[in-house]
Amino acid sequence: MASVSASCLRFHPLLLHSNQPAQGSFKLVSVSWPKSWFPSLKATRFRVSCAAKPETVQKVCDIVRKQLVLSPETLLTPETKFSELGADSLDTVEIVMGLEEEFNISVEEDSSQNITTVKEAADLIEKLVQKKAEAGA
Amino acid sequence: MKMRCCFQRSFCSASSSLVPVQLPSPMETHFWYVLPDQVKSVSLLNQYMGLLSPIEKENVLSMPGHQLQKRALLARALVRTTIARYQINGHVDPRSLKFKKNIHGKPEVVWQSEDGWCQPHLHFNISHSSSMIACGVTSNSRIGIDVEEKQRKIKNNILAFARRYFSLHEIEYLSSISDSEVQHQEFIKLWTLKEAYVKALGKGFSAAPFKTFTIHVKTDYKRSFVLAEDLLFEASEIMVESLNDPKSLTSSWQFALLELVGSHYAAICMEKDKSIKVGMKVPVRLTAWKTIPFVEDECVSGTDAVIPIGGLIKL
Repeated sequence: MASVSASCLRFHPLLLHSNQPAQGSFKLVSVSWPKSWFPSLKATRFRVSCAAKPETVQKVCDIVRKQLVLSPETLLTPETKFSELGADSLDTVEIVMGLEEEFNISVEEDSSQNITTVKEAADLIEKLVQKKAEAGA
Repeated sequence: MKMRCCFQRSFCSASSSLVPVQLPSPMETHFWYVLPDQVKSVSLLNQYMGLLSPIEKENVLSMPGHQLQKRALLARALVRTTIARYQINGHVDPRSLKFKKNIHGKPEVVWQSEDGWCQPHLHFNISHSSSMIACGVTSNSRIGIDVEEKQRKIKNNILAFARRYFSLHEIEYLSSISDSEVQHQEFIKLWTLKEAYVKALGKGFSAAPFKTFTIHVKTDYKRSFVLAEDLLFEASEIMVESLNDPKSLTSSWQFALLELVGSHYAAICMEKDKSIKVGMKVPVRLTAWKTIPFVEDECVSGTDAVIPIGGLIKL
């Protein structure tokens, strides 16, 4: 059953009908739901909501902008890949270090390789911050 | 003293083919670089664009801003045109080359075997800074390269950075340097060497996190001399030591460190030829070209544009 909230779209397919064609752009799963209350989605990709808090995302963006010396007009979304902004591995490592300092966390070296977008950084930060809080509690 | 290569300035029209080159011999690296600031012609950039696959084109155009797009374009054009030069069986169209990534993400050429003949074991690796794009090529030997601007600004404190990412020995080495400018330079050199090693391994960073290996640079001597017709530089001995696995696997890697056009450090890491006995010191033979594909190739090894500053290098 799909639900639409103000800020995000959560997708939980419960019914899978193999003989039913996928709705419009949902290529992976076929579901059935009443057309009456479900809005039509024209986008070819639907975005999973970012699990991290907006403030975290904003701080990450600020650090990335500073490291890569991005012009204010450069668009930076949670999904933007650092490499697409011209970041090389030294930039990425510096970004991770900046994030560690800002959020007072420690990122494992293999995890740091998985940080390629703002979203990935923000999600990992929240996870680590929460782990730290639980450990300290 | 006879230089092994000569200046090849071929001012060809934009539609002419690339000057072909012989495959590198064992323990030889071919190093090609392009300086984006020297490539201004719009028609030439369009010609490069025409070499790219649809996905590559998409990637180039998705970069924000003209400079980044140009850099991405030149990187792909350099790789395609460079590999196409090593024509093994007739003319190779740079457009026709197909690339894939190995399971760890390292780019490789997919050689299309039409009649089953043995494919050349050509290895390549690219690297770029904002003002240089480079491609290293070897035969039958894994290679990794890294280029960095000497003056590249490090946002974090260098020692804090080193403590976070480098090995103990390297931290000690950097900490012992009192002059901040020299410390910065040595940091960049270390970074390029470490980066080149990881890229040569081709297993991704998680296979060799920077903290788990040390680059040793023994600089008790610095000399250059002529051996037969070659120019031999023995600037220092560079070795890598794996802290997890101190066995001699790491002695199968050879390094070269260069200063390029006065503005960049370039590190090359290549696998020693299997025929070389463990412990034998064999120089890396280097031939370097500054290129504007389809326009001009200039062999620069032996000039001031390429100065060996580390490792055992034969020009």
